[in-house]
Amino acid sequence: MSENTIGKKSLEWVDSRFPVVDLFERHLSKYYSPSNINIWYLFGFLLLIVLVMQILTGLWLMMNYTNTAEGAFSSIEYIMRDVDYGWLIRYMHAGGASAFFALIYLHMFRGMMYGSYQKPRELIWVGGWFVYVLLCAEGFTGYVLPWGQMSFWAAQVIISLVGSIPYFGEDLAIWIRGDYIVSGITLSRLFAFHVVLLPILIIAVVFFHILALHEIGSNNPDGIDVKKHTDQDGVPLDAKPFFPYDITHDFYALGVFLIIFCSVIFFFPEGGGYIIEYVNYEPANPLSTPAHIVPSWYYTPFYAMLRAIDFPLFGLTAKFLGFVVMAAGIAIFAALPWLDRSPVKSIKYKGIYSKAFLAGFVISFFVLAYLGSVPPTETKNMLAKVFTFIYFAYFLLMPIYTKFEKCKPVPERVGDPA
Amino acid sequence: MKSLFYLIVISSSFLIFSAGEYRCGSMECDNFKADVSDKASLQRGLSTYMNYCYGCHSLKYSRYKRVAEDLLIPLEMYENNLIYDGSKIGDLMEISLTKEDAIDWLGAYPPDLTLEARLRRPDWIYTYLRNYYPDSSRPYGVNNRVYQNVNMPHVLEDMQNTLSESQYDQVIYDLTNFMTYVADPSAEQRKRIGTYVLLFLIIFTAFAYMTYREFKKDLK
Repeated sequence: MSENTIGKKSLEWVDSRFPVVDLFERHLSKYYSPSNINIWYLFGFLLLIVLVMQILTGLWLMMNYTNTAEGAFSSIEYIMRDVDYGWLIRYMHAGGASAFFALIYLHMFRGMMYGSYQKPRELIWVGGWFVYVLLCAEGFTGYVLPWGQMSFWAAQVIISLVGSIPYFGEDLAIWIRGDYIVSGITLSRLFAFHVVLLPILIIAVVFFHILALHEIGSNNPDGIDVKKHTDQDGVPLDAKPFFPYDITHDFYALGVFLIIFCSVIFFFPEGGGYIIEYVNYEPANPLSTPAHIVPSWYYTPFYAMLRAIDFPLFGLTAKFLGFVVMAAGIAIFAALPWLDRSPVKSIKYKGIYSKAFLAGFVISFFVLAYLGSVPPTETKNMLAKVFTFIYFAYFLLMPIYTKFEKCKPVPERVGDPA
Repeated sequence: MKSLFYLIVISSSFLIFSAGEYRCGSMECDNFKADVSDKASLQRGLSTYMNYCYGCHSLKYSRYKRVAEDLLIPLEMYENNLIYDGSKIGDLMEISLTKEDAIDWLGAYPPDLTLEARLRRPDWIYTYLRNYYPDSSRPYGVNNRVYQNVNMPHVLEDMQNTLSESQYDQVIYDLTNFMTYVADPSAEQRKRIGTYVLLFLIIFTAFAYMTYREFKKDLK
């Protein structure tokens, strides 16, 4: 009893100075999520866990990493061999990067499938898209740090894309590299971006993303507005408090995720060359170009788009056009809320065209991912062109097909017959 | 229409050609399955490495002590028999051959091989070391089916000539097994810990599932 009063008193003491109880209620115990959300709604929580894991493992890696061209490669091997459990920390970080992208792609696909980007969640979507862009930059800068052959040449290829910009591209590329080729100077600045600037931005934008979400609330697989029907206290009828109902579900999902994740990092840490590329076990050598320069699997769809554009147009080089298409392939996600003119949110109630184009998008994403990971041939380049076209068709034709297709009626409440 | 036909023929022939490229040069890689828990094999591999390879190829990311401990070799025995240049047992396994001398004598600097089994994969090494053949057009009189016109002489030639084929294959197996170990010395510890981690996670997930199920009952 006395303990209880001490506990209560200290809580009151803190609460009158900082709104703990209010925050707990607003974001957990009285934050309501629709009762019909399914397993597609677990990835946000898992992403948050992976973000924390990447920050912690990254911090420990940084304690033993050397950010110079001379020392980087051997400092990684020092971590792998001489640092206690260094191998574990590094495999968690490298595997964590792949997990991060796998989860964020699933998370984004959920949003596309159920129309979670639509009004009033435009800013949540754009914030999430910005996290993805930052994550691409974070993944790229991190990939360079082991300073193996693929690190070096990936950096060389990606930064040289900037050099394809007409008029000032070359100067800009030199400014970014700090040198005429990728060098130790480039390495240490990419290190600074990787460990300071980008993580701070990612945390800030994730914070914004979650705050915006908690203001509006989650969408759901039916795209029903659950806030329309409330009881006399204003609690939505077709919803449940996040704490404890969703959090227990999330912890169960976390267990399943960790089983998969740990099976990979403990038993297949290289992921067959997809998580850690074999070529990267050779130290960076500016004088010898590897036979095939391949980016990490999570960038390969965009790499395929870059290579698909192999013709100059309007006096612009093929390389620059490829760069523009690749960047557009990433940027266009941000426009989704304004491209979709459909009166309904979820793919369940959208018409046949929306379903067909979404299927086309998914297929083209996988095909491009494959094509970007293998050496190009004439046929494969042709295929890459076709699927790049389908990929963009999903977005660019959306204002037309969502406006004219016939949608099914959306039920008024969860569980109502459609 | 005709041109489309040719386009298909030409492009499909590209596919066939690309499928014809082997990972092991002019041939398929031979099957190799490492067993880094076989300490006797690793010890034999280490001894071959130290006697035939270590003159030119360092293992500079690895330490003598780590190898001795992992391969169950007493430190003193290791120090007395397998350290040739007065290095300390805790030192990195570097060689005395300098870059200048190597280029002067051999025309190239022999690469460090600590990570070779991760870079080229063990089956490549196993196939490569068993596929030297006489070729009088090459400076050392040998060439290799896996690595055309390789600079390295066939340092194990005498051994290959005196041993039977299966004995030689065993030597190469042990050597490749050792190189697989040294490229990834934590592999055994990793798998052991991994098993416990997974067991824990299965129990954790079972409890998490039961908690989830209990709370879910409220919602019905």
